[in-house]
Amino acid sequence: MTTDASARDVNGTTQGEPVLSVRHLVKRFGAVTAIDDVSLDVRSGEVLGIVGDNGAGKSTFLSLLSGYNHPDAGEFRYHGRPVRISSPAQTRRELGIEMVYQDLAMSPDLSVWQNLFLGEERRRWMFFLDRRGMRSRAREVLREMNTKIEAGAPVSDLSGGERQLVAVARGLLFDRDIIMLDEPTAAISVAKADDVLHTIRSLRERGKTVILISHRLEDVLAVADRVAVFAAGKIVSVAENEGLTVEKLLRLMFGARAGGTTT
Amino acid sequence: MRVSTRATGGPAGGSGPGGTAGPAGTLQGTGAGPSAAVTSLRRLWHVMVGREGDVRRPIAFLILGVIVATIITPDFIRPSNIDSLLVDNSYLLVIAVGEAFVIMVGSIDLGVESMLVSAGMLIAWLTVFHGMPSGLAVVVTLAAAVVIGLLVGLLVAKVHIPSFVVTLGVYWGFRGVALLVNNQQGISPAGSRPFGFEGIAGSTGGVSNLLIIALAVVIVAQVVMSLTPFGLWLKSIGSNELAARRAGIRADTVKISVFAISAFLAALAGIMYTAWAGTIVPSAVEGYSLEAIAAVILGGIPFTGGRGTAVGAALGALMVAIINDLIVLLGVPSLWEYIFVAAVLIVAGLQARAGRLVK
Repeated sequence: MTTDASARDVNGTTQGEPVLSVRHLVKRFGAVTAIDDVSLDVRSGEVLGIVGDNGAGKSTFLSLLSGYNHPDAGEFRYHGRPVRISSPAQTRRELGIEMVYQDLAMSPDLSVWQNLFLGEERRRWMFFLDRRGMRSRAREVLREMNTKIEAGAPVSDLSGGERQLVAVARGLLFDRDIIMLDEPTAAISVAKADDVLHTIRSLRERGKTVILISHRLEDVLAVADRVAVFAAGKIVSVAENEGLTVEKLLRLMFGARAGGTTT
Repeated sequence: MRVSTRATGGPAGGSGPGGTAGPAGTLQGTGAGPSAAVTSLRRLWHVMVGREGDVRRPIAFLILGVIVATIITPDFIRPSNIDSLLVDNSYLLVIAVGEAFVIMVGSIDLGVESMLVSAGMLIAWLTVFHGMPSGLAVVVTLAAAVVIGLLVGLLVAKVHIPSFVVTLGVYWGFRGVALLVNNQQGISPAGSRPFGFEGIAGSTGGVSNLLIIALAVVIVAQVVMSLTPFGLWLKSIGSNELAARRAGIRADTVKISVFAISAFLAALAGIMYTAWAGTIVPSAVEGYSLEAIAAVILGGIPFTGGRGTAVGAALGALMVAIINDLIVLLGVPSLWEYIFVAAVLIVAGLQARAGRLVK
């Protein structure tokens, strides 16, 4: 089955060149090897689903990509050229990777536009905020996303789903290449999960590359072009969505650990 | 005026048992009257208890304070009293603004009064004992304070000692330093050796320089807080430090700078105080750290930071000043000052909670 899947992977036709590649990534926490020799290509314009059980290495992988943690070994390539990922800010600005965290942490006391531009403020006269410029740009992006969120509203007034949209809007605002979503349906109500999937599809239509990390296998299968399965710190399968089912994914996730239909 | 007629009309109609012809007629006649009165009362209530950090709240409280003070003693509103109230509390405004920066990021600075008095002792020592030119002495004093503030900030942001602990150390330590400077004695200008910076307490065009300095500090601080990226970073850290760090804000650097700002303004206040008092003693301004903190809270910046204004903190300082002034005007023993400030602070805390409940 896995050979099957990887064969299809190789013959994949729809996706573009690798925008981000990782090679032989290793991350240890003490005696635990959380990421064990992981290699993966993220192709331009695709929605890449990443699934796996708790502790399989998804979150660690994510924290390495976002620059929060640093790998013990391995390398990153961005458009084919080797890069260092040193900090979340550098990841965003230089590599164009926007991270949408599971907890959707924002500054509730600040307005939507202030949160959107936080850390990358537009200035005028050197030292001052270009408040008007930022607010109107924020309004534009929110309108493009077909939301009714007010640019001037305090974030404390927003629902979980709306916060998610704001976090995604940040990626569009700064025209990032890659948008990573960590468990995007975790912090919002089940009823809103479809909205998230809709957002992911529209990101893809805009030519964005999306990395979707999720527990909810149905959600992943609903939007992903390819799905990478983590188990025990390794990637046990990378397969085109076509032909995948929840059962197959579960088997990959747990079968590997039980002793191995896959290598 | 419309509000007052409706306010009197409303409750009268409402409390009228059974509804005689008279009140019923008035009710019909005024039409939307009572509901409009309710609306405006509700609006006022919302301002009073509304979103923390809204500058309209300290403004409303200050106006209320002035009205109450005037009712208690009409002497309060006399121009000469208002003038001396503003001038005598100019240095409290300055330290309250410094404290506002620290509380905005969710930290606290208990040491401002000790920084104030040490700075006063230092500048007096430099000018009176060593004949240093006053301009240079001002620069040296402010620079020394900034260095101390940076060290405090480093201990808080990099060594991760809670700001409460570090600045409690500053509070005790710099009282000690103030005592050390002149062997526990104060310093006054001698005939041949003046301070040289008394002009700071003079006036320009009939307006006290102290007040001008304090207003300039408030305005600059407010501009920094609401119009610059640094102001946004301050609020983001107080609001959600994790989110701020993820957005790439150098939270440690920002935290270190707020302690430097607070120390700088405390030293500036120390120079102002020394010029104003014409002398400096190591035991001066006892309790002012807590008054500055009270001012900030009254001014609408929550203890956890994230929102509020420098203007609010300054208005809060004026509220504290009004209480102190009333104590003097009424000839009440000054112990009541502490108890009044406590009561007002608790009320401020209560209405902040009420604001959250209403929301």
